[in-house]
Amino acid sequence: MKKKLNMISPRFLLVLVFLWSFSTHAQDATVTGTVTSIEDGQALPGVNVLVKGTTQGAVTDFDGNYSIVANSNATLVFSYIGFTTQEITIKGQNQVDASMTEDATSLDEVILVGYGTQIKREVTGSVQTVNLTELSDIPVTQVGQKLQGQLAGVQINQTTGTPGEGLNIRIRGQLSVSGGSEPLYVVDGFPIAGNLNNINPAEIETLTVLKDAASTSLYGSRAANGVVLITTKQGKIGKTNVSFNMSTGLQSVPQRGRVEMMDAVEFAQFKQEYYQDQGDPVPDIFQNPSQYEGQTNDWYDAMLRTAPISIYNLSVSGGSEKFRASLVAGLTNQDGVVLGSDFQQVTLRANMAFNPNDKVEIGVNIAPSWVVRNDPATDGSRGTGILFNALHTWPIMPINNADGTRTEFNRFPADTGNIFAYANWLNSAERIKNEDRDLNLVSNAYVDWKPIKGLSIKSSINAEFYQRNTEFFSPTNATNRINRPIPTNNEAIWNNRDEFNWLNENIATYTNSIGNHNFSVLGVFSYQQFRIDRTRIRATDFPDDRLPVIQGAINIDRGGTFDEVQESTLVSGVAGLTYNYKGKYLLTGSIRTDGSSRFGSENRWGTFPSVSGGWIASDESFLENAEAISLLKIRGSWGVTGNQNIGNYTQYALVDNNVPAVFGDTFAPGSAVNSLSNPNLGWETTEQFDIGLDLSLFKDRVSFIYDYYTKNTTNLLFNIQVPRESGFSNFSDNIGELRFWGHEFSLNTVNTTGRFKWTTNANISFNRNEVVALAEGIDQVFGPGNLHITQVGQPFAQFYGHLSDGNYLNQADLDSSPQVPGRSTVGSIKLIDVNGDGVITRGGLDDDRAITGNPFPDFTYGITNRITYDNWDFSVIATGSQGNEVLVRHLFSTTNLDGVFNLLKDVENRFRSVENPGDGFYGTTVGGGRVTGIERDWVNDRFVADASFFNIRNITLGYTLPGLEKYFKSARIYGSIQNVHIFTKYWGGPNPEISVQNNGQGDGGNLAPGVDLSGYPIPRIINIGVNLNF
Amino acid sequence: MKKIILFLGLICFIAMSCEDELNVFPEDSLSVPTFFNTEDDFTQAVNANYEPLRSLYNSTKPFMTEMSADNTYFARNTAFGATETNQDIADHSMITQGGITPNGNVTNYYRTLYAIIARSNQILVTIDDAEIDAAVKANVKGQALFLRAFAYFDLVQLYESVPMHLEPVLDREGAALPLTSEDVLYGQIVADALAAIPLLPLKSDQQPGRVTSGAAQTLLANVHMVLEEWEAAEALLKSVVGSGEYMLMPNYEDAFTGNSDNKNNMESVFEVQYREGAEGVQGNFMYNFLPRPIEADELALLFGTPDAQPINGQGNNIPTPDIIEAYEEGDLREDASIMYVLTRESFWNDGVYPIIKKFVEPHALHNNHGMNFPVYRYSEVLLFLAEALEEQGKGGEALPYLTQVRTRAGLGAHTGDLGDAIFRERRVELAFENKRWFDLVRTGQAIQVMTEFGDRVINNPNAYYFPVGVEAAGNAFTNIRERYALPAGESEFNPNF
Repeated sequence: MKKKLNMISPRFLLVLVFLWSFSTHAQDATVTGTVTSIEDGQALPGVNVLVKGTTQGAVTDFDGNYSIVANSNATLVFSYIGFTTQEITIKGQNQVDASMTEDATSLDEVILVGYGTQIKREVTGSVQTVNLTELSDIPVTQVGQKLQGQLAGVQINQTTGTPGEGLNIRIRGQLSVSGGSEPLYVVDGFPIAGNLNNINPAEIETLTVLKDAASTSLYGSRAANGVVLITTKQGKIGKTNVSFNMSTGLQSVPQRGRVEMMDAVEFAQFKQEYYQDQGDPVPDIFQNPSQYEGQTNDWYDAMLRTAPISIYNLSVSGGSEKFRASLVAGLTNQDGVVLGSDFQQVTLRANMAFNPNDKVEIGVNIAPSWVVRNDPATDGSRGTGILFNALHTWPIMPINNADGTRTEFNRFPADTGNIFAYANWLNSAERIKNEDRDLNLVSNAYVDWKPIKGLSIKSSINAEFYQRNTEFFSPTNATNRINRPIPTNNEAIWNNRDEFNWLNENIATYTNSIGNHNFSVLGVFSYQQFRIDRTRIRATDFPDDRLPVIQGAINIDRGGTFDEVQESTLVSGVAGLTYNYKGKYLLTGSIRTDGSSRFGSENRWGTFPSVSGGWIASDESFLENAEAISLLKIRGSWGVTGNQNIGNYTQYALVDNNVPAVFGDTFAPGSAVNSLSNPNLGWETTEQFDIGLDLSLFKDRVSFIYDYYTKNTTNLLFNIQVPRESGFSNFSDNIGELRFWGHEFSLNTVNTTGRFKWTTNANISFNRNEVVALAEGIDQVFGPGNLHITQVGQPFAQFYGHLSDGNYLNQADLDSSPQVPGRSTVGSIKLIDVNGDGVITRGGLDDDRAITGNPFPDFTYGITNRITYDNWDFSVIATGSQGNEVLVRHLFSTTNLDGVFNLLKDVENRFRSVENPGDGFYGTTVGGGRVTGIERDWVNDRFVADASFFNIRNITLGYTLPGLEKYFKSARIYGSIQNVHIFTKYWGGPNPEISVQNNGQGDGGNLAPGVDLSGYPIPRIINIGVNLNF
Repeated sequence: MKKIILFLGLICFIAMSCEDELNVFPEDSLSVPTFFNTEDDFTQAVNANYEPLRSLYNSTKPFMTEMSADNTYFARNTAFGATETNQDIADHSMITQGGITPNGNVTNYYRTLYAIIARSNQILVTIDDAEIDAAVKANVKGQALFLRAFAYFDLVQLYESVPMHLEPVLDREGAALPLTSEDVLYGQIVADALAAIPLLPLKSDQQPGRVTSGAAQTLLANVHMVLEEWEAAEALLKSVVGSGEYMLMPNYEDAFTGNSDNKNNMESVFEVQYREGAEGVQGNFMYNFLPRPIEADELALLFGTPDAQPINGQGNNIPTPDIIEAYEEGDLREDASIMYVLTRESFWNDGVYPIIKKFVEPHALHNNHGMNFPVYRYSEVLLFLAEALEEQGKGGEALPYLTQVRTRAGLGAHTGDLGDAIFRERRVELAFENKRWFDLVRTGQAIQVMTEFGDRVINNPNAYYFPVGVEAAGNAFTNIRERYALPAGESEFNPNF
């Protein structure tokens, strides 16, 4: 009977309890039962069961069972840390089972902080925790994608849709001229060198973001970009729990947001008009544009496909008093929405903990993962990325031959203006191999010894091994470049990268209370070493495309072949004190010292102090009676952190050993010192001040968090140009200052409770920055490609170019306006003479360029609504960004008025004559590159587009299946849509979060953000899934 | 508690011993603390000290010390956009403001010379303490001193006052030094060259192509010639002549190297070394000394290169009618120095231009050749000696040295004033070897000669390679000055300019 009851739903039980209550009398009897968690049906061991009003009590065993003697009219009180305390009246039954609810907003909730945990209520810094299980239905492969919109003050942009790549995560807007801005990731206490991409989200128990300096400064010289703490799933004492989750879906690129290009008829029409306006004979193929009716070759669309994605995760966890374990295995199989691209990932994690006695815990975590990813040069600049190439390929060029086979390449006679041969990009996508094979292994082993009450001494060894082998092969019958007729030369690049990073860390903590004084002291000593070995080999001209092996290559390109070793060592000590009086006056202080091999010999050790305080005003007597206020906490913090992404050997004067000479006929290798040493080189220093308010109302139905921060980053790593009389061109020094400030608001509300439960989480962040100083005598630096300027007194990395004012409408307008000498004509773009010297100049002392836009948003926000109703659950996640702009860099091709490429449909509205001046956005095609080149190559403000957006990122509808208790603890099915719809005015492409480097690949980085070169689009995913618990 | 104190003590101990662990030097390249120790290190360092000369002699130096004078001129290609950088050198129309100019050649020349100086300084500051073979040490040190003196000598002649770095720059503060006066610079140049002479071996004992004691003596003599210290020059030059290490090649045209032969011949005192190929030590100066545009077949005909590619752009360093006129009747050197090529696509007259023949040699790779560029030849030693003697009123002693040079050129006795004759002889003997501008400046004739030359160009542009109807630029020959202004690109970083 008992066994059977166990498998019956709690609600059914309640009915039984109700029925039995009438048939019993008040007398002492033995009551037994099982206590389970309502969330996952798992048995809860160690639950206190108390007969109300007595001292009679019991504790549940490993299977959650208890037995207690109680009066048949008594009430049982079930209490357990982290769960809401529950009371059940016995009413004469001898079987009372309890299902307990996890208490997410419990004030006693313990959260992760640097080198330990803390009661959430007593935290004095700005710390935010994300519950990843709530986000498990989002059908994406990267942790960062799931976090979008969940965290105040954390901007997460997906800059490309390339599978498994492209997240830019920035906490509180942190920036640097030369160093990176990626936060520090700490996995189970181990600061890893890599990023989040190799961690299967299903392995993560909690993810905590440390934002203010008092929270992060424990991580010293690596903390300035913020810290993300991740704990992976650990086994719990109790029954073995098995869960299996799978989802499968279809990805596709929505029509919305795609760049609207000319179709075949429109393009032929444009070309016809181009020749007519020029007064030149129209080539035959453009004589009759309507002949192309219905014959458009949409190359961009042809590159895209609907592609499947499947994600499987299996978790097993459980344990006893002596041994606990958690295993997670994951498999992801994704085809990309661009032809030829795909992604597969296999992850495993085994976390084990042994407790030989009650004073010692020994644990081992091992997590290998494998990734195989192919991306056939999809992203790139004009002429190198096949997606960009496809976008601007003439729509009259056939994708297929008349017999249905694909064309190999297309080229029209030179007199048509087709100066480049175009390969068939579909072939390129399928034939070019650009495969990454990653192996990642993160492991920890520790001993935690608690010799006396309150004292813990923990020593750990951690290792991270990461290997990436990249193989690029472009056969003779494919190319990612324009102007390469097929067949072409074949080419292979091998890139092998091995990273190894190990850490020994020793932590001592002692916690005690003396009267109303509660304190905890912390001491840490750690030693960490990093090493990267990299080999790159480039070879060309393989006699046989089927054998792209090094020994088969005719040429090994010495310039493209090299070996590289990068090493560094970090030695650190931390001391910390957390103190509170009566739990309402809170004070925390810490100091960290980092010695790094990256720092110059005269500046080896950096010290990073912090202090923070808090006051729980709601505990004061004057607020005790304010029933509405459950928590009012005011907190403030100050601290210093560092950014040590300054390069491993920047401090040294390096010797270039490739400076050869020749004497007579004898070649003579030569070596010369090619950089200046700087023994004073150090970390970038960020001093941060934070003030915050935590307010919970109406028994935590409404909770509100506000933070204001201000940061000053000084000692920026800067490559200062020095006079060449020194024999060198620059000197790396710590110089310059940036200022950041911002406001963050989070609001969580429980709108309704009970059967229809509706909660809302919302956050909004305002981040600002300003360049206070650069180097002496230097008040501006340009980003790569000169599209951005970082200028003293302005926000960082602003778009930079000419300002435009329509076209020169007629001769009089031309004559009376400043011109580009010898290049401006009637109908050409009219640029603004910023310095008022009467001439338009680009570069040099008389430069007329100015700031044309700002890639940073005014504010970003996220809003998540969750509703549960009986067995149904429903959630909507949306994020937004306001005021950010994007530089539509691909216009230098897609509005190239020389008709070399296909064009934006909008170019139809260009200037054609004084009588037909168009809409003032595109100039005349007459005059050749001398005239049109200004509009194309002199980047101007027309390239800058508003990229504010509101993105409904995910909608999920789930249903927990009843009546399957026989087979499962729980079973749920759901459907979800990822990237449902983006509301935006952005017209440069489908992704307003895009940011690429000048070569179209990778993120644009700090100095050059927000550039669109028509990269890999982000797909919409329509998905179904199941969660099964056994 | 004891255990905890022990534990903390252990941490302190480990922290102390970590200082060494924090010295991590790069494994894939050498850094200064690990370099400059062995004999091979110093040899490699001094080899790198010669490297900047290759780019200097490929274009910048010929443009600024030959094309800037009246021996060669710029050939305008009207179909190509302006390249003011070179044109402004030929036309003396550089924009100068407050003693600085943005001209790219002026910047490159300056920077290249300081690269040589910095490399010399790195060697000189460390070599005395190095425990290496004494002979190697002396040789390396001598070469480094020579090259530093050589670089400062060009700097002082071109720019007059420049910063003087004698030690490696170690930090940002030390990177920009004040301008040093001409006198002080010359003092240092003389001291360096003087110190180099006894350290360097004779040519017969030195690896061919490296500088020798004879080269150092010639350099120092050249310095004394510029300073008009005739007696000192005479003594050094006589020592070179008396060393028995040098003689004139019987044929003038054999004084210049082939693509891979005849290098560092008996007439050569010092030449910039090149080798054709993919190792990165090739020259391409002859490609910079051609009229343009020039077609592939025209280049193939000239150089015999199977992979010739057409070249567009502007023509540089084209012999002027003036230098052609300067050769006396019967001078064998004219045909050895100047030839004519046809460029069909040119807009100038019939497209037949004179070019510098003395450096034209057949080779295999387009824009990649192995001819060396002469810096000092023995004939210049003879002409310097003749000049030094003549200036001291020892005309009779001077004459045989002049005659030796003229005889090889197929010429008899000179006519007119001996001093003038020696100067005229230098022009034709050393034409296109980057001597003319320095000669005009040191003899105080630069302004006058170039003003007259400018008048000829402006009045008859077609004779100076402008297509019919095209005028010289409006600012041509409006800024003739004996010294170049300092580079604007450097003034940004050196507040002392």
